[in-house]
Amino acid sequence: MAGLELLSDQGYRLDGRKAPELRKVQARMGVFAQADGSAYIEQGNTKALAVVYGPHEMRGSRSRTLHDRAVINCQYSMATFSTAERKRRPHGDRKSTEMSLHLKQTFEAAVMTQLYPRSQIDIYVKVLQADGGNYSVCVNAATLAVIDAGIPMRDYVCACTVGFVDETPLADLCFAEESGGGSSLALALLPRGGQIALLQMDARLHQDHLETLMEAAMTACKGVSKVLDEVVRQHLQEVSVLTGE
Amino acid sequence: MIKTEKIVHLKSSRGRKVRVVREHYLRQHVPCYSSLCQARCNNDGQVLSGDVTHYVFPDVGVVVDYQEVLEVAGLRGVVFTQTACHAVQHGKGRRQYNRLRGLLKDPRHDCVLFANEFQEYAYCSREKGESQDKWHNRCVYSAAVWYHDHLAGVKPVVMITEDVSAVAEYSSLHSGIYIVSMQEYLQNFWPELQAAQDLYCSISQTLQEKESEGTEREYTEHLPSEVLEAGIKSGRYIQGTLNVNKHRAQNEAFVRLEGSSNKNTDLNSDVLVSGGKSRNRAVHGDTVVVELLPRSEWSGRAMALSEGQGEDKPPESIQSQPMPTGRVVGILQRNWRDYVVTFPPKEETQSRNSRRILATPWDQRIPKIRISTQQADALQDHRVVVRMDSWESTSLYPNGHSVRVLGRAGELETEIQTILIENSIHILPFSEAQLREMPANSPENPWRADAAARRDLRESHLVFSIDPRGCEDVDDTLSVRSLPGGERLELGVHIADVTHFVPEGSLTDLEARTRATTYYLADRRYDMLPAVLSADLCSLLGGVDRYAMSVIWELDTRTLAVHKVWYGRTLIRSSYQLHYELAQALLNGEPAQVLELTRLEPDQRDAKLAQLTEALEMLTHVARHLRAQRDQGGALELEGVEVRAQLDEDKNITALVPREPLEVHETVAECMIYANHWVARKIQESFPQQALLRYHPPPRQEYFNQLVDSATARGFTINTRSNKDLAKSLDQAVDPKDPLVNRLLRVMATQAMSNALYVSTGSIPQDQYYHYGLALDRYTHFTSPIRRYADVVVHRLLTAAISLDQDSDPSKPLASNKELEVMAQHINKKNQAAQRTQKLSTELFQCLYFKDKDPLTDPCCVADAIMYSIRANGFLVFIPQYGLKGAVYVKNREGQVVSAGQDGTCEWQSGSVHRYPDHISTVCSAGTTTFSLFHHITVRISVQPSRCHSDSLHLEVLSNTPHQSPPEPADLPGPQHRGSTQLVQEVVRLAEEATQQAQEKAAQGNRLSREERAFRQTKGPNLYSLLEEVRELALMDMQACGTGGGGLLGLIGQAGCTTSA
Repeated sequence: MAGLELLSDQGYRLDGRKAPELRKVQARMGVFAQADGSAYIEQGNTKALAVVYGPHEMRGSRSRTLHDRAVINCQYSMATFSTAERKRRPHGDRKSTEMSLHLKQTFEAAVMTQLYPRSQIDIYVKVLQADGGNYSVCVNAATLAVIDAGIPMRDYVCACTVGFVDETPLADLCFAEESGGGSSLALALLPRGGQIALLQMDARLHQDHLETLMEAAMTACKGVSKVLDEVVRQHLQEVSVLTGE
Repeated sequence: MIKTEKIVHLKSSRGRKVRVVREHYLRQHVPCYSSLCQARCNNDGQVLSGDVTHYVFPDVGVVVDYQEVLEVAGLRGVVFTQTACHAVQHGKGRRQYNRLRGLLKDPRHDCVLFANEFQEYAYCSREKGESQDKWHNRCVYSAAVWYHDHLAGVKPVVMITEDVSAVAEYSSLHSGIYIVSMQEYLQNFWPELQAAQDLYCSISQTLQEKESEGTEREYTEHLPSEVLEAGIKSGRYIQGTLNVNKHRAQNEAFVRLEGSSNKNTDLNSDVLVSGGKSRNRAVHGDTVVVELLPRSEWSGRAMALSEGQGEDKPPESIQSQPMPTGRVVGILQRNWRDYVVTFPPKEETQSRNSRRILATPWDQRIPKIRISTQQADALQDHRVVVRMDSWESTSLYPNGHSVRVLGRAGELETEIQTILIENSIHILPFSEAQLREMPANSPENPWRADAAARRDLRESHLVFSIDPRGCEDVDDTLSVRSLPGGERLELGVHIADVTHFVPEGSLTDLEARTRATTYYLADRRYDMLPAVLSADLCSLLGGVDRYAMSVIWELDTRTLAVHKVWYGRTLIRSSYQLHYELAQALLNGEPAQVLELTRLEPDQRDAKLAQLTEALEMLTHVARHLRAQRDQGGALELEGVEVRAQLDEDKNITALVPREPLEVHETVAECMIYANHWVARKIQESFPQQALLRYHPPPRQEYFNQLVDSATARGFTINTRSNKDLAKSLDQAVDPKDPLVNRLLRVMATQAMSNALYVSTGSIPQDQYYHYGLALDRYTHFTSPIRRYADVVVHRLLTAAISLDQDSDPSKPLASNKELEVMAQHINKKNQAAQRTQKLSTELFQCLYFKDKDPLTDPCCVADAIMYSIRANGFLVFIPQYGLKGAVYVKNREGQVVSAGQDGTCEWQSGSVHRYPDHISTVCSAGTTTFSLFHHITVRISVQPSRCHSDSLHLEVLSNTPHQSPPEPADLPGPQHRGSTQLVQEVVRLAEEATQQAQEKAAQGNRLSREERAFRQTKGPNLYSLLEEVRELALMDMQACGTGGGGLLGLIGQAGCTTSA
């Protein structure tokens, strides 16, 4: 009934952020030694783990092999304990299949697959705690993991969700904002060139507002890319100290 | 920013408890919104002034319970904490919260919101096991401490709380912060605000009473809101607005359905809710959810006129066919407002518990309200403003508290205030801050015409205004002239440029927006703009320079077709300030004294007079043409009965005078309509999504039933298919012996129509912009910006449209469609209130007029009346002499009926009543008496006093023959007086129409023949169209049957209005 007030008259959101502010992002690369690349990211209370294997030879059905580039295989899953109510999530339900497909499309646009013909790159992402913006957090985690695996990419892929409340775009929605009605848009961006890797929106939105919303999403993605860049640099520094170079 | 986490326990959709972790970000820079801030906070928007003695932090309990006290205008320097606002939002619902938001936004109140929960140092997280109240107190206290320190201790800070333990706990902790209870605070800091203290007392008493309430259940509980929502979605329940029948307030109420939410398509009339139990504590105007009863329990509405007020008669045998009946299962939104009640005299108060009193609201549709007060004795027979607080299921009546005492019932001032409050009109005098904004009319501030922005018409144009006598706020002037060459004619409408003086967003603008219109009461008016503007600076007075907004057309001299339109700002000097009677006299060639010319030499005067008369004649010519053009389109000539109370110096009524129509009225009106229409076209074309228009939806056909029936009884046929047909058949329905018949039919046609409304173009499809009454495809209000806020909005739109044409960006972004729609709704609401107020005040004066007269002896109280509608036990009459409408009964409560003697004199005898479509007859031992529609009878008018409600007029049949009136008083217009001018007017118009018709026919003929040539189509009525028409008729009949209830409701609702007159 009495809907939550997503944006107060003073311009505060439910959790105290202002409209264009992101949640706190913390990330680590190389969390697992066994995989080729791995990363863990926290964006507010949404936490995700990404693991990358490859590039390696095609496994399973060889018929999917592409002769000019690598195949990217993505798998998205959510931990049973990731939401407030524990819920068993069967493997391959519709939501995660769709999400996997989105991830795949995003990374096919970003990874330089033509360097590895006839091979396969596996990206596994698991959401450990879900609090809105699952897709974008997964993309960000996977980016770090791919970098960690040393697979060349055109640019970082940074993603962010943006919502639209009271004619104002809100960056990086949390769960309460996402479920509170209103339309939300997910954007994955290659920030340096400003190319869009994926753009997704399910809800209705007036055409006039689309441009402002896209602009807000791009700014937010660029913000995310700065944070990721810092994480990568710091990681490299740590690693280079360890290897003694 | 620092991230913390907050753990909230919420209920999930299935009712389970869920633990939710939410982030909570804290920051160092949260604006304090105080003008004393030295830390350079980002304080844009409204700030607290520095000239108060202290700042006050009300705690959560105080804000939730005593928000009304904090709204009192004099209280300043209030800082609301975010904690308290959240508590209001969650504890009190959206309505209360919106009021708080409105309060915070209102620049007239000195209060701000401090977002303490997002301030790093003011926030305190809830400790384990801490109760919510304690935590809230701690939050508010730490916010107060932070605020005090932030302002470097410049202002003392007072925290008010009703929690005694909090006072003890915190009072000695900090030197700059004082913690007091609400009562002490009001007494010590604001001793001059008596109103706040009274309000506080009445609320606190109510709160105390609430705790000691009985447990016996009178009503069934309302269902929880989730169940209601699910029920509405699945179609099991129906959502709608509750309307209580004014005449059977105890028993009958209807739920008007709300369009799209209702999936039950076979239900297209209103739902009847009968009896108090099934109404289940809903009050008139609430948004309720009803459940339909099984069909076997459906009942019909009562059809008889109810006599007297407030009595609980058992349902009579006469009922309409059963209609959907339901019971209220829940209330989605209370729509309580301020109510005026009357305290009962002493002997009626309950002796047992004299502190709680049942007071009767002025509005009959509202149940009695229980009020706790200690001033019951002092308030006897006083009218008091109250607010309802709650209505528990254990209580038969709602609880309320008193807010303000208006005065003794029956006094004029009290009654006028009552009318205003009952229509939710709150008018405070203009504040000093607003008046300070006003520009002064001084020589240092000359009237300038910038070549770029403003055209100077002072020398080139003869501008004049025509208004009622004694008018101060002249907002429209006219000019007309032939252009050199004689081919073209230039017509100009110049409207006061209010937006030049009232910038958007200024205090004056805000105040004008809240008022939305000037309120005209019978004896006074409340202006929308301060008098400096409305009577001087904006008013287009004669002989002085004024700014105006003009529309200037170039017309062809012969065909009067538009060649060019120019819109823009101008500087004008009105040469003549005429009034209607004078203008008419000039037109008729009668000798008249023009004030502006008296000082001139005779020959000069004659020349000027000739010039003016020529202009007036030209204007009349153009207006006649315009009118004829609109008549072609189907414009209706509608009739409202307007009566003016003539007052002498001491505001005593000397007579009730119906208004007299002159042709000049129509001429001026026609020019204004034309200007409005062209402006509407302009703004709609420039801003297709966000222009403010006025539209008039076509009425529903079944509302015309009464009109058609009455007309049929008199032998006229009324065709209501389109506005043109209606206008035509109304023109034909003239009884040569009785001009009143036609007038009454027009009144009834007007009643059948809905009101014209303002709308933002983005929210309805373009084909609905049509104005039914005026027969124009687009219409707006442009010509009275001094009196109506809508015109101010339109002026701004027009200015923006002009600057858009000149390729310069408008200085400010325009209101979006959504904002404009909200504003349109607001203005509509206020306009309705203004109309109701005007009507009620007129009725009040009618009652006052008859109150002093003894009905048995005074000849004024006996009048001629004409019957226009028949009911089961009486009929409705119209009294032309006073412009009154009312009900007359032929059967009284004892079952006696009226019977007429030989000479027509009536007396009461026992007998029976028979009702027929066109007459009603009574049968008794003396014989049969018949009253037929549109017959004249004689009635006696007396006042029926009422203590709690407004007085009403009572009509009684004296004779079924026309009243042999004494020679008419001189001030009433006799028919022969009007005859000549009207005749001229009529003939000219008919001629115009005939020529136009001929032209149109010629055009049509051409077109048709072309079609004929191309497609070989026949011109005459073919079989297809005939069948189509038959089908439509059938559909309409079905509709009429199905929605009979709805249609009847409308009619009876209107009849209801008249019976109370």
